[in-house]
Amino acid sequence: VNTYLDRSTVPDRRFSRFLVFGLVVVLAVGALTARLFYLQIANGTEYAAISARQRTVLEPIPAPRGLIYDRKGRLLVDNVPTFAVKIRPADLPNSQRDAVVARLAALLSTDASEIHGAIDGNPGSAFDLVRVAQDVDQATAQLISEAGYELPGVEVGVEARRQYTDGALMSHLLGYTGPVSAEQLPDLRAKGYQPDDLLGKVGLEAQYETELRGIYGSESVARDATGRRTQVLQTVQEAQPGASLTLTIDTRAQKHAEKALKWAMKKIGMTRGVVIAMNPQTGEILAMVSLPTYDNNRFARGISTADYAKLLKDKDKPLLNHAIQAHYAPGSTYKLVAGTGALADREITPSTRVMTRPYLTLGSTKFYEWNRRGWGACDIYCGFGHSSDTFFYQLAGMLGIDRLGYWANQYGFGEPTGVDLPSEVAGIVPTNAWKQEALGAKIFPGETYQAGIGQGYDAVTPLQLINAYAALANGGTLYQPQIVREITGPDGEIVRPFEPEVIHELDVKPSVLRVMRNAARETVTLRHTYNLVDLPIKIAGKSGTAEFGTPDSRGRLPYSSFFVGFTPKDPVKGSFNKADSELVVMAFAHDSRTVGNAATEIVKYFLQLHYGIEKDYRLPALLDRGNFYQND
Amino acid sequence: MGVIRAEPVRVTDWAAKSVGAAWRAFDLQLATFAGLLAAVGLVMAYTNSVESGSSPLEAGTTFARGLMWAGIAAVAFVVATTFDYRWFKTLSWPVYALQLGLLVVTLAIGDGIGGSARWVTVGPFTFQFSELAKILMIVVLAQYLASRQARLDSLRAILGACVLVGPPLALVMLQPDLGTSLVFAAILAGMLWMSGASLIWLGALGAGVVAMVPIAWTYILRDYQKERLTSFLNPTPDITGSGYQLYQSQIAVGSGGLFGRGLTNGTQAQGDFLPVQTTDFVFSVLAEELGFVGGLVLFVLFGLLLWRVLVAGWRSRDPFGTMFAAGVASMILFQLVVNVGMVMGIMPITGIPLPFVTHGGASLVSMAIGLGILQSINIRQTRAEW
Repeated sequence: VNTYLDRSTVPDRRFSRFLVFGLVVVLAVGALTARLFYLQIANGTEYAAISARQRTVLEPIPAPRGLIYDRKGRLLVDNVPTFAVKIRPADLPNSQRDAVVARLAALLSTDASEIHGAIDGNPGSAFDLVRVAQDVDQATAQLISEAGYELPGVEVGVEARRQYTDGALMSHLLGYTGPVSAEQLPDLRAKGYQPDDLLGKVGLEAQYETELRGIYGSESVARDATGRRTQVLQTVQEAQPGASLTLTIDTRAQKHAEKALKWAMKKIGMTRGVVIAMNPQTGEILAMVSLPTYDNNRFARGISTADYAKLLKDKDKPLLNHAIQAHYAPGSTYKLVAGTGALADREITPSTRVMTRPYLTLGSTKFYEWNRRGWGACDIYCGFGHSSDTFFYQLAGMLGIDRLGYWANQYGFGEPTGVDLPSEVAGIVPTNAWKQEALGAKIFPGETYQAGIGQGYDAVTPLQLINAYAALANGGTLYQPQIVREITGPDGEIVRPFEPEVIHELDVKPSVLRVMRNAARETVTLRHTYNLVDLPIKIAGKSGTAEFGTPDSRGRLPYSSFFVGFTPKDPVKGSFNKADSELVVMAFAHDSRTVGNAATEIVKYFLQLHYGIEKDYRLPALLDRGNFYQND
Repeated sequence: MGVIRAEPVRVTDWAAKSVGAAWRAFDLQLATFAGLLAAVGLVMAYTNSVESGSSPLEAGTTFARGLMWAGIAAVAFVVATTFDYRWFKTLSWPVYALQLGLLVVTLAIGDGIGGSARWVTVGPFTFQFSELAKILMIVVLAQYLASRQARLDSLRAILGACVLVGPPLALVMLQPDLGTSLVFAAILAGMLWMSGASLIWLGALGAGVVAMVPIAWTYILRDYQKERLTSFLNPTPDITGSGYQLYQSQIAVGSGGLFGRGLTNGTQAQGDFLPVQTTDFVFSVLAEELGFVGGLVLFVLFGLLLWRVLVAGWRSRDPFGTMFAAGVASMILFQLVVNVGMVMGIMPITGIPLPFVTHGGASLVSMAIGLGILQSINIRQTRAEW
């Protein structure tokens, strides 16, 4: 077809409409120009400043973390460079997430759920890096960096990892470092931490986090919108390395303690135990072993969720330092409190004789002597030496629960010792006030008896126990136990020298403690502790057996054993009249149920190793399972 | 009163006319301004390609694809110019059917971001049919309004035009593409205005649209659309969320200053702070790199182009030509204001491209076809008839 305009049609071109349209065009373009002027000319400098600001940021320069040495200068933890794989969730498109994570999991030979878990648990924002794998070997790291375009949002970086020289041996002391958690992040952000930072989680790594971390430096960095660095412009402040710690721990003593404990545990088939050695004159801890333990290097390398869950579920709680983070009934070792209290309060004199019996009767309840016979009339040396229950029931009865509690507090029970390790528990010293608050009742007389021999409500940590005997051994000063001896700055200058910390002086005359030290020596010389007296060194101390838990079918309770002992400064010729001891050792054998006192054997073995005694005095027969009171 | 009559075409008709006369009627200024705007688009494609780190002429870069589409657009422009626009009058219903067909095909097999259906992929090409549909809409509406010029004081003719626009607008809404459907509405409004429709009815219609807004807000718009529409009203935008683009593009524009940072030196664009920098937010790159002067040049070019489009409409003896020019002018003006306004934070965020400059083949080719038809109209109004 061809079309044409019929002549009769007059195009209706209304000028006014064109004019209005034209005006709209002019106004619209004018408005756009005005806005452009406002943004670029009127406020241009301000926007240019914002633009510059968001392109350059101050980024932290991590400071090398401080090192840790034992008291002899042996390196216990080092920093080693490792590859870490991180993901910036904002750069990982959701549609590709499953594919990328699956590929990454295959490359890292881990489980995809671990990576998903890490991304979902990201404490920061989607623009912050999330660590999905650490301690990646170089070949894998290279493979992942080269596959960059297939793995959007994935970055490989070098970071320092903690390498613990002795692993499990020191895990409960040193602890480990780990990633910042979501709950911690808000507080830590204010202190300059990054969401992908590592920090001390437990042990000394956590306790001395501030000192070890050092001061992060900063550099101004040009970056793009996704936060990727494009170039480093300048270093604003150099990083200041963290301070180094020198411990009071002697690796050799620590190894001996572990060896002695492991020997007994294996022999008995027991699963939980503690050995501590300290210098009573200063409060320095020379060795502290809590078994079972774990390898802190596994945490430093990034432990898998499954492995971590396994450690958490273990009934013997390997993640817990049983020396300070759990409390137990102390058994007869606690008789130190009633003995000291009765002498100090003049309820008895060193020569006062108290009749020991097969049992005491209180109302209709019989309180038995542990050997069901007694030793006749006993003074403090005899009562403490034989560990007579009826003797100390009567002393506790003379003191009363509140006075007994007072003397327990004097020895540091019922309060954390203040050792420089995190999460220490306080233990329990029963008093009327305590029971009123905890259980809503007064203490019954029978409970006072129990409290006198370290049963019933009494609960102490192994560290509190050794610290109490340390106060006895040093003549009455209760020190705060210490793990870190010195802190050395990055330039090698000692920023915090060692200084003993006194909690308080015991409220007793030195003569009372001298009596108690000699009474403790009686425990050994009376052969209550079998052949301990035959060792070529002098030891005083106290054993203890404490029942716990629920009775078996024949009404017998499982029991643990304790021993705390100390040697004079001159272990061969010295005397316990002097308070010059420089070594206290304690052992705790949980659920030992042995014929003899397992803890005594452990301490004996430790002392043999420590003093280099060649002859073996160990009595393995005592470590046979007995499940009845043979010893106390 | 006159009517458009159709007669069987004579093959010799076009040949009989002097090519020289046609050339004289060809609006060289219109073509020049459009060509300059397209050149600005190529310059922006170039700077974006350089900034993304690739060699600009490498196959697949924004610039290389821009060059290819510019070539296709030039061909489309020539073809549309030589094509006798009067065929559209006869073929207006088939054109309408074609338009709806393209939009239905897009909905059926189209791809897009986040489950939307915006463009159709054929081999190595992706094409956004809704861009072409805008030109076809103008053709259909121009024919409708031109043929009813005498009756435009009646509500029926006005409502009829609305009914014509309804289905394509709804199809675009379904993609969903709020921006393009608003362009359809703008084209309708501009053409109704220029058609000389009764002011009373236009006013009533406008009031009706205003009344519809709350209903559309509640039942039709999706949450993200509402968020984008309102984020420009918020003085302290959520700069990490919906306001991020807006905030970054304002920083880009503002940091340009008088002369800009220079081509390929835009730090906002280089640092990837600007999302969709080659498409809807291309003006922010231009403003950052070429500054106030560059922005002003762009506005002046658009102003001159609109002037030539309106002149073509004014000169057309054929009401179809007037209406067509009105449609094209409305479309360009609306897209300019909304796109640039959005980049500068005075208009809501809608996915409307900046004509000629935004990188995208469909938009450029459709514009070329539209202007080609306008040239076809220009050269077919003989001096004698004027």
